[in-house]
Amino acid sequence: MAQGAVILFWFTIVAYVAATVLYAYFFLSKRAAFSWYATFLTGAGFLCHTASIGMRSTAQHGTRLDGPNTLILFAWALVMLYFVMEHLIKVKVYGTLLVPVSVVLMTLSQLIAGSGAATSPLIENWKIGIHVALIAFANAGFLIAAVAAMTYLVQEGQLKRHKTNVVFKRLPSLSKIDALARRAVAFGYPAYTGGLLLGVLRAIETDPPGWWADPRVVLAGIAWAIFGAFLALQYTQRASSRTTAWIAIAGTIVVLSLAVVARTVPAGFHIFGV
Amino acid sequence: MHLLVVGLSHKTAPIEIRERLTFPAHRQAEALALLLSQPAVAEAVIISTCNRTEIYAVASGGDEGVDSVIEFMADYHELDRHELIRSLYITRGVDVVHHLFRVVASLDSMVIGEAQILGQVKEAYDHAMENGATGLALNKLFRQSFEVGKRVRNETGIGENAVSISYAAIELAKKVFDTLSGRTILILGAGKMSELTAKHLVSNGVKSVLVANRTFERAQELAERFNGEAIRYDDLYERMRGADIVITSTAATHYVITKEQVASAMRGRGGRPLFLIDIAVPRDIEPTVNDLSNVFLYDIDDLSGVVESNLEERMREAGRAEHIIAEEIALFVRWRESLEVVPTVAAIRAKAEVIRLAELEKACKRLGGLSQKDRETIEALTCAIVNKMLHGPTQRLKQAAAAKDGYEYVETARHLYGLEESEARGHGKLRNLLNRRAHDTADKQATHEIGDSLGC
Repeated sequence: MAQGAVILFWFTIVAYVAATVLYAYFFLSKRAAFSWYATFLTGAGFLCHTASIGMRSTAQHGTRLDGPNTLILFAWALVMLYFVMEHLIKVKVYGTLLVPVSVVLMTLSQLIAGSGAATSPLIENWKIGIHVALIAFANAGFLIAAVAAMTYLVQEGQLKRHKTNVVFKRLPSLSKIDALARRAVAFGYPAYTGGLLLGVLRAIETDPPGWWADPRVVLAGIAWAIFGAFLALQYTQRASSRTTAWIAIAGTIVVLSLAVVARTVPAGFHIFGV
Repeated sequence: MHLLVVGLSHKTAPIEIRERLTFPAHRQAEALALLLSQPAVAEAVIISTCNRTEIYAVASGGDEGVDSVIEFMADYHELDRHELIRSLYITRGVDVVHHLFRVVASLDSMVIGEAQILGQVKEAYDHAMENGATGLALNKLFRQSFEVGKRVRNETGIGENAVSISYAAIELAKKVFDTLSGRTILILGAGKMSELTAKHLVSNGVKSVLVANRTFERAQELAERFNGEAIRYDDLYERMRGADIVITSTAATHYVITKEQVASAMRGRGGRPLFLIDIAVPRDIEPTVNDLSNVFLYDIDDLSGVVESNLEERMREAGRAEHIIAEEIALFVRWRESLEVVPTVAAIRAKAEVIRLAELEKACKRLGGLSQKDRETIEALTCAIVNKMLHGPTQRLKQAAAAKDGYEYVETARHLYGLEESEARGHGKLRNLLNRRAHDTADKQATHEIGDSLGC
């Protein structure tokens, strides 16, 4: 079973790399056939990816919540959310930006594999399993929103400066990018809220000293507030799309810092080895 | 088969000549009948658009075919032949293929990448076909040209970027709003240019049109044309709050819309962007309006800049289109070569030779123990039979091929002997031999008996 999981993992990487190449070619040439093949390969890769995670989990009697597995889960959530977004908003060109990120995450998971310390017994609980899964899913949504936000700023800048280039012609319209960012956060935010709540519940249960001051907990709270503000401003239309784009980027920077801080700052209970 | 095109276009003739040389759809049947009554012309297609008039024909070699077509053009339109010739271009052979492929790919159009030409050529071909004016050669040429047109459209971005001011404005508006359906436009000033832009916007799905003008009656007049609403000039800034796109083209000598007014209109819009198109000279909108968040302002120079950059983009795509055309020309030439008499005769003889050798080998095996002399005798016998059998048909085929519709005989011969293109130019031992023989023979141009070059 474990061997099968490894084989499928490499199949996944090969499919994602091939899809990345095809998406890039599609981006440059705008030939729809390449986008079709790229989406097909991404879909095939995603199936292998799902099967690999399932088989690994079965072989190990449950998914280990270490760094490499979290990255693999994150990459999986990213591709899944990409398909949901693609279905809702029809932004094929977005695969060009997201599938390579999944490839990087998968590769990174292999580079850091085996270097991790033993995981804390505090996280050996079903609540933490769901917490990690929900956070990975939410982070995927936030990353999609951040990439959309950056795309928005690039596109808007070109429109404002009246200077367009090939990228301008390939990227979707401002309203589409804005909708993409909004929906990605709208998908991710409830998952993030649920994930944080489960984490807090577990923290209250085990009650380690000063858990509420743990840098990761604090940063998670800040990220939650930032994305909450993003959604409030988006849906009440009280801010321009440019402002909300910056908010999405700021939120994602906090989420990324959070991932780094949790693994580098030797303080608090929230360090469970990379 | 001698392909030729005689024609004129915006590149060679002024409008005064072009307008006198048109062949409208309702007169095509008559024109084609007249053209085909010329003894030298076997097939013809007449393309007649506002920018070009071209006659594609399959005709006799030499200048006979060209002369017939020019004479027809001059007589039909009662033009002086010498005057006409000054505006004409004449192309023959493979250059005709190249020219037609460039025309359908819209590389020869006034605006490179325009989409209409493919439909116009299709229409011209349909007329010719309905009137029985096309045959094997022009059918193949035109059908392949439509494939070229489609490939160029699908595989390059030649028709993607707007190359007129009004379309550029629409393209930019779509970059902001994605779709224009359900949007509201506000036209300020009832000039021709704003009317044209508004017309394009409405045809792209804009829901409601508001028109403001100093003279309210003029605003009403324009609003009626778009089923829109005329608004009082004093209500302009209030109504701007509900608009998505504003087009201005007044004759005012000062800014009609200022930054403060737009900033005020942007409040309470719920973060919706506003796209402003200022096509007036002098400008109607204060340029600093563009600094406001969610406001995009384009003046006539900005739009011209977009058009220019789009034209450059189209020129780059034209290079890719030329590659597609080169590929397609090679395909057409290969097909045409298969209809030429010399390679066809060579292929027939080569096929006969392969059969002869195979049968000779079998017979020799069955007989066994033949002396060298016996073997040479049998070989000479088989050679003589093959040569005698083929001599008459190949001679007659060569004579028939010289006629204006000679390629039809060649096509028939290829069919009867089973020399389809795929067989003669495909893979495999037999095909290689056929190809080699055919090429050797074609190189020698076979002024002498072709059988001689086959070793018999």
